[in-house]
This record gives sequence, structure tokens and C-alpha cells, in this order.
Amino acid sequence: MKTALIGGIGNVLLGDDGVGPYILTLLESQYTFGDNIKLVDLGTPALDLTHQIVGLDAVILVDSVASDDPAGTIVLYRKEDIVRQVPAERLDPHSPALSECLLTAEMLGASPRNMLLVGIVGETYEPGSPLSTPVRESVANAIAAILAELERLGFGYQKRAIPNEPLIWWGETSATPTRPAI
Amino acid sequence: MAKRITIDPITRIEGHLRIDVEVDNNAVSNAWASCTMWRGIEKILRGRDPRDAWLFTQRFCGVCTTVHAMASVRSVEDALKLEIPLNAQYIRNLILIAHALHDHIVHFYQLSALDWVDVLQIPKADPAATSKLAESLSPWTRNSRNELKAAQDRVNAVASSGQLGIFANGYWGHPAMRLSPEVNLLAFSHYVQALEYQRKALQVVGLLGSKTPHIQNLTVGGVANAIDLDSPSALGMSQLETIRTLLEEVVQFVQQVYFVDVCAVAAMYPEWFKIGSGVRNYLAVPDLPLDSRGSSYDLPGGYIRGGDIAGAKAFQTASDPVFRQGVTEDVMHAYYQGEKPLHPWQGETEPAFTGWDGEQKYSWVKAPRFNGEPMQVGPLAQVLVGYAQGHPLTKKYAGLAIEKVAAIGGIRVTPDMLHSTLGRHAARAIRACMLAELAQKHLQLLTDNIAKGDYTVYNQPVLPTHEVEGVGTHEAPRGTLSHWIVIKDQKIKNYQAVVPSTWNASPRDKAGAHGPYEASLLHTPLARPEEPLEVLRTVHSFDPCMACACHAFDPSGRKIGVAKIL
Repeated sequence: MKTALIGGIGNVLLGDDGVGPYILTLLESQYTFGDNIKLVDLGTPALDLTHQIVGLDAVILVDSVASDDPAGTIVLYRKEDIVRQVPAERLDPHSPALSECLLTAEMLGASPRNMLLVGIVGETYEPGSPLSTPVRESVANAIAAILAELERLGFGYQKRAIPNEPLIWWGETSATPTRPAI
Repeated sequence: MAKRITIDPITRIEGHLRIDVEVDNNAVSNAWASCTMWRGIEKILRGRDPRDAWLFTQRFCGVCTTVHAMASVRSVEDALKLEIPLNAQYIRNLILIAHALHDHIVHFYQLSALDWVDVLQIPKADPAATSKLAESLSPWTRNSRNELKAAQDRVNAVASSGQLGIFANGYWGHPAMRLSPEVNLLAFSHYVQALEYQRKALQVVGLLGSKTPHIQNLTVGGVANAIDLDSPSALGMSQLETIRTLLEEVVQFVQQVYFVDVCAVAAMYPEWFKIGSGVRNYLAVPDLPLDSRGSSYDLPGGYIRGGDIAGAKAFQTASDPVFRQGVTEDVMHAYYQGEKPLHPWQGETEPAFTGWDGEQKYSWVKAPRFNGEPMQVGPLAQVLVGYAQGHPLTKKYAGLAIEKVAAIGGIRVTPDMLHSTLGRHAARAIRACMLAELAQKHLQLLTDNIAKGDYTVYNQPVLPTHEVEGVGTHEAPRGTLSHWIVIKDQKIKNYQAVVPSTWNASPRDKAGAHGPYEASLLHTPLARPEEPLEVLRTVHSFDPCMACACHAFDPSGRKIGVAKIL
């Protein structure tokens, strides 16, 4: 059976950087997926991401990205776009980024067959700030891009008749930002 | 005329380390360690329920998630003077050990081995000769000619593609690289295997913590694991057996591969026992508690001043009064407001960015001091403190390391040589072997305690209304971690994390004393200043992790780092 990972990347404490885990939580609360699809809140995994992606048929990651496009723009990257980045000097364990994990998987001969990075251009990365309005407004489109990729690759999923309450423990619900002022 | 080299890799959003060195006559004459980005995550915690703090602190750092979770619950438990049931202590200890073993393996192979191993020499190696060499070093069963040939083929495949892929950014062919093609191949083959064993260690964290990278089983007062001997989904005999099997494999890799490779690198680069010393004050806290009150530990703690190993002082507990009272943070050269050093319970995090100025402020890292002095933390500190106290497990593996290095290279390592770049690598490998043995011990302690019929995992915390203070410590893979909490009206009034890389990456303080990274780089000889491999060797030997050190981020940060000559 084909296997897939949907991974949310980013730091939930740093404003728009938390959009990856945020979207992952929404997906879990609104849809059901087969046992062959893993959903993981990856945080900021650095090199450990390699362990999450090796040997899979499909990897779909969602993350905030820096770009000259306006905040909230959705930018899609494929495997070849990601490996084109030259790995940076490894001064600390955070340096190994996505490209390095993918290149490591390639060296092992276990690179995922398909990879899509759904990037959302962020606006604010202030500690403790809620998602910015443009990023919040792009969430539905990002989810649509993830589901479209699943369909394209023949993976099944179902919308829940009654969605669960998303578990946004870091202080924000999908409807009302309740983050305390600091 | 001295020239300035800046190593400034811009990494992911987590934040990064910048090293500036001045080079005079091909040796480092001055050094600055700085962190280039800011994030005041601790402030998010103010006003929250102390019992939830660990969920947030676990997100301080994407690599060291569990360590910040653990230090946080311990800080609240210390403030509430709460005892922790034995099962919870053992389960926590196992998670911490498994995480540390994973981390030490990643550090040596994925983050620093390629400072010493020249990938471009590998195609020249003879796999049969390499296998023979490996047999003389270790009983490891995966050093066969076929396995080594497969590793060589991987390098050949990457090299023949015309692009270096994962190896695109190394100082290949650098004159400071000196291993034979065979040793390069052997080390690289273990670089590939290391990925498998890291994964097994993470599986242990996942089984006990219910998820990785963010564990879910912690709670102030204990853990949330359900213990049921017969249920396959709860923690019972079946899961304990799976953990035992995984740990056995990781333990073998650590003791037969990692430890041996570090000894071999040490034997072949002996001059690095004389380079990279720097700050000879060391600090470590006791960890891996053996009882519910935390009065005895499997890892000793204490401190050493001025390299005086014989004069080491011991900490009795993980929140020893000498430690609690001795820690301050100085912001003289850090981008924060404030004049005098503050104790973490009174700590402030008010930014005052002024731009990089080596004479004034130049880092987002504060300068932590113990009794007013900079301290080096990490496995070397722990091993030296343990050695000084005659800790049997430390002495056992330190002795084995000395024997192994002598057997391979004919070099007699004395304790004094451990104040060095290689000393830090050797100490980390010694510590990993100790932890490997302790992993099996603590799994047995847990199994035996459950078998006795004790299923308790949790003591209910009661939050007082009056103000209380606590410190939660953990001797993390990179050294002493402490979370400092002030609780008032059942809410967090103040929270500060003083993390290992803050101690080591500390900038100068008010008295002008260098932090450990800075001091360790002084006088380092550079074969080619435009390719400062030697600087990386020493900085890497500390296992830097700047994300937690500076709590920083850079929204534009996805560029490629370069060593710039200024």
C-alpha cells in the first residue's frame, strides 16, 4: 500500500511561523485519513525530518516561507526545487534544512517519490503573536492544495460530518484568536 | 595586519550563530561569538498556568524539545516541593537518556565528523583493507567488505552525478584533513549507519512519550503513561520488551562504533588535544534521579574552577543551594536593557538592539555567570566533575577511552589534555557509553518496580496562592539547562531559561571575560584562513544549538551561509 506523510512545519510560538502545525490541526479536526497517511506536527525538526520522510511514496509539507510575494501568497515547491538549494554550512543542528534532509534521503536511496511543499508567505514572526490576517485568510487555500495533491496521487480522505474542535493548545482557536496580550 | 573572518551561516527561522575571528600570522588573535537574532519566547509564559508551561517550552527549540519540557515540569515541582513517583522518574530518565543518545550520535556523525573526514578521499579506499582495519578496532558486525563497498558506492554515485549533493559544502582536500582513504571510508560508512540508530533511539522516546518530536506524556507531578502489564497499548511487558530490544541495538552502536570512531579520530589528530581549551571553569548538575525526592542520582554534578580537577566541588541535589544562588546573567555585551547582572528569578528580557559592535554590544545571547565567572558546560564538564569525584561509571569509560586511544595511536591521554577540542568529543563519547549502560539499568528498575505491583505515575500538584520560586534543571546533551520560575496567584509571574548554549556561546561580560566559544578559539592555527576549517572544528566540538541559546529568529532567513573575509 502506498504511504504518505502530511507534515506541519514551524514554531507555534512565533506568529506566522506556526501556520504549518495550525493547518495540520485543522486537517485532523475536519477530515479523516486512511492508516497509510500519517499526519505529524513536526515543529522545527532540522535533520530529524529525514527519519520522517525516508521510504514514503508521498510527502506533503506545509510551512511558512520567506519570499518577495505578498503575505498570504501560497507558493508550491516540488522536490526538484528543494534539492536545488545548496546545503548551508553546518554550524549547529538547526542548519540542516529541508534540502539537506531530502539529499540525505537520496543518498540512502530512499527519497520519497513525490514531494510537495505548500509554502505560505508569512508577515509577522513576533513571539506570541496570532496568525496575521493575510496568512489566516490563506489557510483554506493551503488546505485545498494539500487535498488536491492527495487526490492527484490517488490517496483517499473523507470530510467529517461534524468536525471536531481543533486542538490549538497554544492559545488560538480557528474562529477567535484568544491569545493574551503580553 | 590582522584580518577579520566572519562565519555567518544564515539558517532556518530558528536562529543562528555567528563567529567572528581576527587572524594574525595564520592564527586566531581575537574572537567573538554572537547570535544574530532575537526572540523573547519566555515572555509568552507570563500569566499562564504553570502546569501548562512545559507544552510551550517544548517549542523553544525544535531539536531539544524534550529537554525543555522536562526542565519546565521540574521547575514547577521544585517550587511546589512535589515528590515524583518512582515509575515517573524512571520513565522520564529513559526518555532523557534515549534523547541524549540520539543527540550525541547525530552530533558526532551528522554535524561534526565531516570536519575530520574527507569525503573526496573515499573513492580511493580499498573496502577489503578497510574491513580488515575495522576488525582490528571493534567487534561491530557491520564492518564487512560488502557493507563498506556499499557505502563507497553511495559516495561514488553522488560524486559521479556531477553535483556533490549532501556534500556540497565541505572543506574537502583541506590540508588539515589527514585520515587515510580507508579510515575515511570506515567513518563514512558509520555516518550512514548512524542514521538508523538515531532513529531507533527516537522510537524509544516515541514509545514512552507517546509522540515525537513533541512528547505528550509529561505532567507536573509525574507522567501520564498508563501502566498495564497485559495491555499492548499501555505501558506493559510488550512495550517494555520492544524498548529493551531497541535500546540494545543503540547501546551496541554507541559502544562499538561511536566510541571507537571518536578514539580513532583522537589518535590520528593528537595535536587537537592541545587546541581549543579556553575557559577551564566547568559546571554540571546531577541528573537521573533514583528516588522520588531527588536525593540520589546516577549522574554526578558539581563545578571546577581554573582547571583544578582535584579541587572540584560537588552538588548534592539537582537544585543545590550553591547553584540556585550562584547563577546570574550579564547583558553588558548583549542587546538587552539593563546594567547589572541579574539572577534568573529577577531576570528581564527587554531588547535594546544596537547593531554588531565588538567593543560594545554584539550578541542576542546573554552572558550567564556562576559566582561571577564564565563556565563551560557540556559532556566534558560532566565527565571532569564525575572523574574528580571518583564516580565509578565515569572512571570506567574514561579509562577505556584512554586505553583505546593508546592502542590505536600510541598516545597517552592525561586528564589535563581533556581541556581541548578533542577532549570535548572524547567526553561526549564517554558520556554516551555511560548513558547507554544507564539506559539498560533504568529500564530494569522500571520493569522491576512495575513487577512489584507499583503502578503509580503521578502525584497531584497543589498550587499555593502565595509567591513561590523554583528551578528545574537537566543535564542535557549540550550541558546544564535550568528553567527558573516564579509563581504567584497560581500563575507564572516570571520565567527564564538559562540554556547550555547560552553558557558556552556567551559574549564577554562586564569584566571583559570571554565566553567559552570565544576563549577556545584564541591561538588556533589556521592552515588556510579563507577556509577556516579549524575554527569549525572547535566550535562544533561544543555541539552548538543556537536556537535555544538566543531565542532568535529571522523572517528572511533562508539564504546560504558563507565564510566572509572582511
